Amino acid sequence: MTSAFAGLPGFVEEKEGHGETTVIVERERLLEAARQLRDAEGFNFLADVTSADYLGWGEKGVSGYWGNAGGRDTNSPGSWGFASVPEPKSRRFAVSYHLLALRSEPKRVRLQVWCEDGDPVPSVVPVWPTADWHEREVYDLMGIVFDGHPNLVRILMPEDWAGHPLRKDYPIGGEPVRFSDED
Amino acid sequence: MAVGDRTPRLADLGISSERVLMKHKPPGVFEREVAELEQRVMLTTLEKAVAWAQSKSMWPDTFGLACCAIEMMSTVTARYDLARFGMEAFRASPRQADLLIVSGRVAHKMSGPLRQIYDQMLEPKWVIAMGACASSGGMFNNYAVLQGVDRIVPVDMHVPGCPPRPEALLEGIVRLHEKVQAGVPPAYELRKVAT
Amino acid sequence: MATTATSPSGTRSPFSTDLSSGRLLYEGSRIPQPIPTILLVPPELEETGDVLTVNFGPNHPSTHGVLRLVVSLDGETVVGLRAVIGYLHTGFEKNMEQKTYWKAITYPARMDYLNFQQNELCFVMAIEKLLGIEPPPKAVWMRTLLAELTRIHSHLVWLGTTGLELGAISIFWYAFRERDLVLDLFEMVTGVRMHTRYFQTGGLAEDIPLGFDAECRRFIDVMPKRVDEYEALFDNNVIFLERTRGVGLLSAEDAIALGQSGPMLRASGVNWDLRRNEPYLVYPELDFDVPVYPDGDVYARYKIHMDEIRQSSRIIRQCLDGMPEGPWILDDRKIVLPPRDELHTSMESLIHHFKLVTEGYRVPEGEVYVPIESARGELGCYLVSDGGPRPWRVHFRAPSLVALEATATCLQQSLIADLIAVAASLDPVMGDVDR
Repeated sequence: MTSAFAGLPGFVEEKEGHGETTVIVERERLLEAARQLRDAEGFNFLADVTSADYLGWGEKGVSGYWGNAGGRDTNSPGSWGFASVPEPKSRRFAVSYHLLALRSEPKRVRLQVWCEDGDPVPSVVPVWPTADWHEREVYDLMGIVFDGHPNLVRILMPEDWAGHPLRKDYPIGGEPVRFSDED
Repeated sequence: MAVGDRTPRLADLGISSERVLMKHKPPGVFEREVAELEQRVMLTTLEKAVAWAQSKSMWPDTFGLACCAIEMMSTVTARYDLARFGMEAFRASPRQADLLIVSGRVAHKMSGPLRQIYDQMLEPKWVIAMGACASSGGMFNNYAVLQGVDRIVPVDMHVPGCPPRPEALLEGIVRLHEKVQAGVPPAYELRKVAT
Repeated sequence: MATTATSPSGTRSPFSTDLSSGRLLYEGSRIPQPIPTILLVPPELEETGDVLTVNFGPNHPSTHGVLRLVVSLDGETVVGLRAVIGYLHTGFEKNMEQKTYWKAITYPARMDYLNFQQNELCFVMAIEKLLGIEPPPKAVWMRTLLAELTRIHSHLVWLGTTGLELGAISIFWYAFRERDLVLDLFEMVTGVRMHTRYFQTGGLAEDIPLGFDAECRRFIDVMPKRVDEYEALFDNNVIFLERTRGVGLLSAEDAIALGQSGPMLRASGVNWDLRRNEPYLVYPELDFDVPVYPDGDVYARYKIHMDEIRQSSRIIRQCLDGMPEGPWILDDRKIVLPPRDELHTSMESLIHHFKLVTEGYRVPEGEVYVPIESARGELGCYLVSDGGPRPWRVHFRAPSLVALEATATCLQQSLIADLIAVAASLDPVMGDVDR
């Protein structure tokens, strides 16, 4: 199985974890890799297209120590000290495609591409039509532009919204919590 | 609402049908009969009669948004039976509805249609903010959810819960009826905002 | 078009599968081009015809929530369709990044608010997969039971609201009568009717109360007969049959190309159910059938919902019979709160309690994707953790979003009345679509 994924166009790395296989390819060769996975390997079902923003990954220790969303330096005195800071990531964004070979012996794989802010990722709508709204959602909430998408407009936020809410530098919003003894 | 020298007419109470608004016409049969009844029995006033009528068949608008809508639907079902309040007729058109039960979280994208629906309703109209999300944004204190619909529409009754049980919604509805029957004007009058 | 359809010459579509029944519903693929989710008005019709554009929603009496459909009509025929969503976007994923895992479990239930416990189940299973822990058997069996009860609840509400939309109003009262019985069971076990938040990392929040077994059996004895009642209302009703048979066709290849799962996929003849093909919880040990219908129309989806309620009743009965004794949650104090009576005597328990409540349990670094079979299809949770007490990224694969992508394909050459029937059969829950 390892050899099958190593032959993918633009293959970078394959990782195993928790019983799942993640295959990382270069984003320029994504369409070819997707077609090969669909036609040759039989991954005919695209379950999900999702993205993650790794801005600030591990910079201030792990996120959320002592109730602080910004995190805390794990090496400073008085810290918990046992947790290890995670390895830094190569680029800021990761777009993951969860694929399933829908047949009597099913198989799942996660196809992943990494990109920086502003890098366009080829759209896989010609390969799996269901990617249409998934990619629109990723574009809307994370700001990753998909090249070749037939209709890349906002889907969840209002059309005139500015900013991409799921990015780590976008504030959570809402209203500040006021306590009863404050003014 | 003067009770002293002049018997209140239906037009004073906010009723705005064509017949009532024709100022050159004298009071109709209903008004005269109620006025005579008041003088004889001295129990009910015209305002109380109108308020009683308004609260006994307050038709809600179908404005179910999220999970609270499911509990709102279950108040219509046989176990909780909204029909005993005369309210099972959920009107799809806001022009025909009296009560707007905002049930569910209001995203910013939805706040425009919400205000439009509210504007299309005719006076008198009431708003129940059902659930935590409609009352205050609920657990979603973030960029996407309107932190309480009372930011855009005047709310008469907040019903807490996530989602409120059907009994809780019925309590809110009954209290709204009591408010109306006590003569409290709808929230747009209390807050002096546009309807 | 990149997807090679099944042509008479026999070239295999890349979306074919050996699990399909093989019935040919229509030639080729009906997925609209170039945009798979938008039906575009043919240009010749726009110029010569009399095309009326109607806006459905977002507030409309169809109780499927705040969905907006912009429909172009030529007479009664739908020639253009565009779905606009996002009217219930709540920012779940970003909100959950701000909360510890304990607090974050409260959120997923509100997404697909009809099968709320399965959303929580999916999230909790993802956390447990990252932690590498297995809840005790009693918790696993009870989770299965509650998941199936939630599936029944979701199908009952679907049935009631679909009947409402099609004008068959009486079914609403019957379906919600049983729904109240299900909610009584939830209230007995968890204390709340909806959005129970009963699943914890490592098991259940509380032990199963005494008397639940008897109450649940009473419900299960009654439920299959009630399903027969519902079918008696619909199966011979000429209007219902006319409105649902042959309406909203979706072939197996198109369904797979569009990422459909759950009742949508099984109604197109594909024998795919995650409980059977990629089992989780105790489904490998249970005996149940997976209903599959090859017709691909609204009627097939309705039959699947009815059969699934029956199968869920079967599963629940087996769960009740096979429920093991034992603890309902793990004993790992780094993840699970210690019992309260220990806080008076044990210093370690007090410290564990303090750390878990203020800081939260730390989940090791990694990323997982956990799919389960919800009432609507494949519900997946993609969880990325950086080793801290808060999720770094949570994403839910929403089956309702994917189901709505199929609207344009199902509605080719349809009348506007079919639009309501098809939209109802897709079973979208807008909380799930918009998250």
